[in-house]
Amino acid sequence: MVWNKVTNVLDRGNEDSPEKDEIPLTMDALRQILVNMSDAEVIERTALDERTITLLYIKTLIDLERLNESVIGPLSVLSDNTVCECITASSISEVTGQQKAKLLLMQGSVLVHDDRIDRWWAVSLPSSLGRSIESSDTETIILGPKDSFSEKIDENITLIRRRLPTPDLKTEQFSVGSLSKTTIVIMYMEGITNPKHVAIAREKIEAIDYDMILEASHLGFFMEDHVHSVFPQFMQTDRPDASAYYLGTGKLVIMVGGTPFVLIAPMTFFHLFHSPEDYINRWLVASFLRLVRYLSFMLSITLIPLYVALTTHHYQMVPLQILFVLLDSRSKLPFTPFWEACCMLITLEIMKEASLRMPAKSGQTLGVIGGIVIGQAAVEAGFASKVLIVLVGISAIASFLVPNYMITKANTMVQFALLILASYLGLLGVVLGIILLLIHLNGLSSLKQPYFAPVAPFFWRDWKDLFIRAPLPSLRSRPLFLNPLKKWICAAYAPVSGSSQYGLGHHRRWHYIQH
Amino acid sequence: MVWAIIAVGIISNINLMLLAKWFASPYSGKGYAGFVELFGERKVRLFSFIGMLFIFVKITVITLGYTEIIHQFVLPSIQREWLLAFLFAVGCYLAVKGMEKTIRFIFIAYLCSFWLILLYIPFFLPPIASIHDLYPIISMERDDGIWQGMLLIWASLSGPEYLICIGAWFSPRDKLLRPMAIGNALTIVEYLALFIASTLYFGPEYLRKSSYPVINMVRYLQSPIFERLDIMMICIHIFHYVFAIALLILLFYGSLRIIAGKAMKPASRSGFIASFMVLFLCMLIVYHWFWKSGTQGHFWPVLQVCFAAVSFLAVPAFMIAAVRIKGRA
Repeated sequence: MVWNKVTNVLDRGNEDSPEKDEIPLTMDALRQILVNMSDAEVIERTALDERTITLLYIKTLIDLERLNESVIGPLSVLSDNTVCECITASSISEVTGQQKAKLLLMQGSVLVHDDRIDRWWAVSLPSSLGRSIESSDTETIILGPKDSFSEKIDENITLIRRRLPTPDLKTEQFSVGSLSKTTIVIMYMEGITNPKHVAIAREKIEAIDYDMILEASHLGFFMEDHVHSVFPQFMQTDRPDASAYYLGTGKLVIMVGGTPFVLIAPMTFFHLFHSPEDYINRWLVASFLRLVRYLSFMLSITLIPLYVALTTHHYQMVPLQILFVLLDSRSKLPFTPFWEACCMLITLEIMKEASLRMPAKSGQTLGVIGGIVIGQAAVEAGFASKVLIVLVGISAIASFLVPNYMITKANTMVQFALLILASYLGLLGVVLGIILLLIHLNGLSSLKQPYFAPVAPFFWRDWKDLFIRAPLPSLRSRPLFLNPLKKWICAAYAPVSGSSQYGLGHHRRWHYIQH
Repeated sequence: MVWAIIAVGIISNINLMLLAKWFASPYSGKGYAGFVELFGERKVRLFSFIGMLFIFVKITVITLGYTEIIHQFVLPSIQREWLLAFLFAVGCYLAVKGMEKTIRFIFIAYLCSFWLILLYIPFFLPPIASIHDLYPIISMERDDGIWQGMLLIWASLSGPEYLICIGAWFSPRDKLLRPMAIGNALTIVEYLALFIASTLYFGPEYLRKSSYPVINMVRYLQSPIFERLDIMMICIHIFHYVFAIALLILLFYGSLRIIAGKAMKPASRSGFIASFMVLFLCMLIVYHWFWKSGTQGHFWPVLQVCFAAVSFLAVPAFMIAAVRIKGRA
């Protein structure tokens, strides 16, 4: 019995489509392709009925055990039946074009040739090399699921499908990068996600003209609406639970082969402050922690500029007792507050970068050097004031409270910009800088959706899950700024048949009460 | 004066009702085409020219006035021209993002500044406060000051009449009367709160002698972390300034395009920058020749108050009358 593979996965953006692949496949051409590839193997076997079967494959890309079991073993007893009938592997397809054959070969397929009928088949036997499912290093949570995505895209899809076992979860596959041939998969919930978002994402992926897309961030750079912004317009996560949640709210998840991080869009600035743990903690605790995160973001960008503004332009704003401490601390410093803060912040950035690049065992050394030498010694040598050291420490710790790693890098840029403005214009400069930042954020978009929603434009219903996280039973609607096709999460709130999904007013409320 | 503020507020609400009727008319949503349909192209150009003068005076007085306050209370060490340039540049940065994003910015400006009113609470409770300071609630004496005050409040409540220029950005389904009335009511409450707070804090006699009573009052505010909270409060008011200026700059640019007969062509970045430069140069000229010396007294602020009062009074009624006349014809 022959199983014909029926696929609903759309192959898009593939330059090796049959229409383009008109060069016929020949043995000589394939051998030519495999020249100077030490891991390429060509095996010829004579079957019982005297025909020659040739196998071509790259041994580093395929599963050799499965090759023996499902191809070589069955072919050795081949008699009257065709190669296709004999091979027991689940994925087998006939190949006619040279380009397609090349692509399949490089994706871990074994090409099988039957000389009697001069036909080629590709048996997909990709090597399952890679790490197993582990817990996330970048987004750690105390409670909640511990699994995270890996580099294998199929496995990642499985992790989401297990959480959302519904046929409405759709996947569209693309191949991007003329060299890397990276597999990209867009996931969305049909009937919930607005098709406009899917169309925009599809359009942007198809428009990519680049050799190599090796990372989720690379893909993000090509899909972003505003390339010059320091703020990420796609959320990156390696957590399947977070991805499943966002899919359910009407967003898109974009997976990139070979990386454990997926892109989530459309997103807003405020999503950067949301953590999967927000939906695990009690709502009051979660709300408090979320507010702390917003506060810490503000502290991380404004604390040092405020220090510079006050000590340079507005001494009169500092209460007398604190002023004595400040004067005492700064009396012997050779630098102005701006240069003092600049030096300390640059030192801090150097330490942050060093801590990322250094081996884990050297981390302790860095702690000692950072804490004692740069902190205490800088004060004793008269390069920095004690007050500034404390503020730099608070600011650095506050910047790490934001769950999204990408924004901690943006923090630094914003902080330096505010620092320059504060040194020239004092408190006015800090406020002007914040206004410029807000104008910039207000102008951004993610997949053409406003980045600063639900504040601007204003969607008051979405505020239940913005600065605070309201109790889950009261979070009845999906984010309105996404224009989801299904607005209500609770089935009881769904509109009665014939009425509009967006129809405001009494019908929906009455329907709910009747239930 | 308390009742004067409330009375002016109520009258302004009637004006807003007229404005809402204009927005309900089929012409408002069509933007420039609607005005042309109503008045004809030549008249629209004439009105644009008059409107441009009004807008220019408003931008100039707001910017120069705010710059003066900042220079006096926040940053006396910096040159006023630089302050002027910085403030105006931020307004332009918002304006360059386009009308839709500028309109959106009002939510951000409101959120970042609405809480300032809470800082005035201590001024309602000074130890020397007396309820008698607010008397007479309705003054029977002939007092020119009260009429000037009412004119000033009327002019302060102006601004919604400029919404007729951005009718195309509203959905025809939007019912604007409610949000406009709520906004107007909040403004009246704020003015009342500020007036009562400053009267109770300074007393009516001293209040008459203060040129910036509210700012002078907040100079006494302090907290355990910051003293002189007035510096912070003045700075945070930039949010409103930036929004207002950005909107007015866009309207100024729009009126220039109508006068130049380019209203139907797409807006260009270079055109916008040119109009911004013209506006900035004109403002510098006004500052150096008419404002800086101080010899002109309060000519420009008084001119702006008169323009604002006239425009708020005349524009809604004029638009409704024009729609009616067109309807009869």
